[in-house]
Amino acid sequence: MDELVICRCEEVTLGQIRDAIRDGAKDLAGVKRRTRAQMGLCQGRTCESLISRILCEETGLAPEEVKPGSVRVPVVPVPFRVLAGEANE
Amino acid sequence: MSRAIDVVVVGCGVIGASVAYYLSRTGASVLVIERGDLASGTSSACDGNVLLVDKKPGFDSLMTYESQRLYDSLEQELEHDFCYRRFGSTLAVEDEEQQQVARDWARTQQQAGLPLRYLEARKVHGDEPMLARDIIGLLECDSDSSLDPMRLVFGLGLGARRYGARFMRFCEVKSVLTDSRRRVKGVDTTEGAVACGSVVLAAGVWTAAVAERIGVHLPIIPRQGQIVVAERCTQPGRRKIMEFGYLMTKFGGAHSRRVEPEMDKHGVAFVYEPTADGNFLLGSSRQFCGFDTRVDPDVVKLIARRAMRFYPCIADLHVIRTYVGLRPYTEDHLPIVSSVKEVPGLYIAAGHEGDGIGLSPITGLLISQMITSQTPRVPIEPLSIERFRPKSTSAV
Repeated sequence: MDELVICRCEEVTLGQIRDAIRDGAKDLAGVKRRTRAQMGLCQGRTCESLISRILCEETGLAPEEVKPGSVRVPVVPVPFRVLAGEANE
Repeated sequence: MSRAIDVVVVGCGVIGASVAYYLSRTGASVLVIERGDLASGTSSACDGNVLLVDKKPGFDSLMTYESQRLYDSLEQELEHDFCYRRFGSTLAVEDEEQQQVARDWARTQQQAGLPLRYLEARKVHGDEPMLARDIIGLLECDSDSSLDPMRLVFGLGLGARRYGARFMRFCEVKSVLTDSRRRVKGVDTTEGAVACGSVVLAAGVWTAAVAERIGVHLPIIPRQGQIVVAERCTQPGRRKIMEFGYLMTKFGGAHSRRVEPEMDKHGVAFVYEPTADGNFLLGSSRQFCGFDTRVDPDVVKLIARRAMRFYPCIADLHVIRTYVGLRPYTEDHLPIVSSVKEVPGLYIAAGHEGDGIGLSPITGLLISQMITSQTPRVPIEPLSIERFRPKSTSAV
């Protein structure tokens, strides 16, 4: 089960996430900093809810106690030429 | 197992973690108190550059060079891989005016024994085929490197723990406690008071607030910067490149880059760093806007534009993320690594502006040397808090 890939963009497994929690990660940001999960192309859109659930299972937190990951522009990948062009793109 | 605590280190970003490591290595009993998780402040909102190339000749450069040498040792000492890659860094020169200054800069630094040199365009474009063709030269520094700041903090933390350091996370230090002679006796935290012999404040942009509570004024304010993260790709450049104009922006000097006024308004200057994971990071910007860490899309646009001027090929690569960090700024761009004479037992290790990563080893070492009364590796007078205080005029 530990080999199950949770963050597909960065290929972070369930085992690695559990290790991160054991090493002290208490929230999504803590898991991110220790494993790179959520740092890939989809920025956690696929894995965030899975990691939240793992955090709850491992630490006993209630789902509503898990702080959501920070959202930054761009919310989807955007080519440089578009970002460098019109400010309103 | 209740050994008395010699030193409380407040903050566990790169500076706090480094102080904890070097101090606990001397045998001192260290407790690190961090109000969040490790590396949850500026140390997870920065890039991973360890740079000598852009340092002022003289003390700034020599201190940085010593810190770089410590990194070469740290790579062996720490069990945790922090993606340390020493491939040097470069500054791209756009015109004759910059070229003259760059050549002089290289010469001055070479005379001080530092590994800088100037490369003419002919030598440059073979090595950097994606760089804009009108770049006429590169100022290069061999000892510069890149690393992962978060992995570094975890590595230093593990190293410190191996030497007996303890950590309290998600616990905030509210104030330093002193006795009737204003000597440090402990700290007051959200989990109660902790007694100790010395305190090191290493809380980055939040250090001044803690010090203020015991009447110690620290002129450290946040200087905000943004970073743009590109997708994993064939990285356009194999090593770090910045624009020579970056130096002028960093030190607030007057230099007319051929850029739109908005670039100067936000202090935007090209900084490119390929990461070990296959992405690249782009900066940079400088703004004084308090503790605001919201991303400004206009600044993102300017950073993207400036990057495309140097690497036109990135036009169709994708930006996947942006983030904002707060650099702890001081007027003279040097950190405060210092005892505080009116509060014996209190030490400051903060104010590194954009050089926290680069200077973390030397800072940790200097603090450990100061606390254990060893000779400091480099002169510490230029880093003293006293330099910001009015000189006493009484002659009696």
